[in-house]
Amino acid sequence: MRLIIPHPGHFPALKEILAYKESEGIKDVAEVYMAGSPDVMGSGRATLHAALVDEIKEQTAYAHQHNVKLNIVMNPSCLGGYHLTLHGFKTFDWYFNELNKAGVDGVTVAEPYFVELLREHSMETVISCVAHVDSPQRAEFFEALGADAIAVDTNINRDFGILKAIKKAVHCDIRVLVNEGCLYKCPFRHAHFNLFSHITSSRASSSQNAQVQPPNTFGDYYFDKCISIRVRDPSQIIRSPWIRPEDLKAYEAIGIDEFKISGRANAVRWILNCMEVYHRRELKGNLLEVLDCPSELRYTFYLDNGLLDGCIDQWKNCKKICDDCRYCDELTSKVLKVIKK
Amino acid sequence: MKEELGAGRRKLEGELRNLVGNIFVPEVKVFGMACGCVGYAADLRGLQSDDVDVFKEKINAILSELSKSVGVEPEFIYARKLPGSEEVVTLTARELCERCKREFAGSKASPRPDIVVLKKRR
Repeated sequence: MRLIIPHPGHFPALKEILAYKESEGIKDVAEVYMAGSPDVMGSGRATLHAALVDEIKEQTAYAHQHNVKLNIVMNPSCLGGYHLTLHGFKTFDWYFNELNKAGVDGVTVAEPYFVELLREHSMETVISCVAHVDSPQRAEFFEALGADAIAVDTNINRDFGILKAIKKAVHCDIRVLVNEGCLYKCPFRHAHFNLFSHITSSRASSSQNAQVQPPNTFGDYYFDKCISIRVRDPSQIIRSPWIRPEDLKAYEAIGIDEFKISGRANAVRWILNCMEVYHRRELKGNLLEVLDCPSELRYTFYLDNGLLDGCIDQWKNCKKICDDCRYCDELTSKVLKVIKK
Repeated sequence: MKEELGAGRRKLEGELRNLVGNIFVPEVKVFGMACGCVGYAADLRGLQSDDVDVFKEKINAILSELSKSVGVEPEFIYARKLPGSEEVVTLTARELCERCKREFAGSKASPRPDIVVLKKRR
């Protein structure tokens, strides 16, 4: 098993993550990942720290001292076409070159054009889940472009037929995100990634016009709707394609042993807990404690992880026609409770 | 409490202007969270993280006084920056629930890169 750990980006957090890994004997930690500079491009998720190349270099060296790789995530789903301008090409090519010189082990991208650009560098090219690789065909496409590893679309986490077919179709490494708590087949997913791509990008990167500001939105419509939908219909929490720590072995059985923990915008202590839980492959208590989802949900609901033993056998062969099946609806009433305060 | 909030906003803005220069405090509020935390927060415009480093003790003292004036024990005081920048947009004094004592204030490092911890009761 290889665990891939989120890193919020500030150096003290990396030191604490690696110190914890060593003090607790968590040998499965193979890689940490953090956002790149918002001055260069945005990101698919919230970016809380703007690390400069010198800092990335220092952090990479520190990670290497602890036998851990460092990956920089540059996975906006939309660049507004800037990457296909001469100015954009020069900017991104320069930045990838700087990351390479800094000793960074890999870069995670969603944009196919960046996969090709990265072929010129020795860094590992990882395809982000934002690229929505959900079929052997799409996996083959990205591998042919130059992918060394693919984090597959979380929507197929519980579709073992597709996962096996992807494993068979490509030679590159396949990763699954284990604790992303997003809605299954979320209708907001693409729009939300696009929004993040623009609001996490500082003014100069999203356009040739340095005066263009990120949009001053009045709120995060998708985030608020996402919480609201699940508060009204808690079965959506069960349908989310998370993977219990106890169920990692089902993925190893089909040849997937790279497990990426989601949540680089969370608190350091939360990350340490997730790292430990997935390393130990065991969680007693509320599964929502380790899911990367709005904290409101874990304050509201208790999802008894112990009662989910064996559910993977149903899910991995599920046809995902929920109206006919009703399995998750019935399960919800047994395993999910509203927390009384 | 209405008087304390209004007076607190004016006092914080005045003190920060004396220390740093032209700072605007558009809003202060008392909040209660679902997890159990309660707190006192001031939104800010014009303050930078360098200012917070330099005047940390004075800012702690003001926030402590203002939060106590509305019944909030200032166990954990922090500044929140606009992600990826040095602009400080909120100063908060928070009385922590058991979960947040572990999760939010339980690491040696700042819990997130946009949070600058100014005071943590040990």
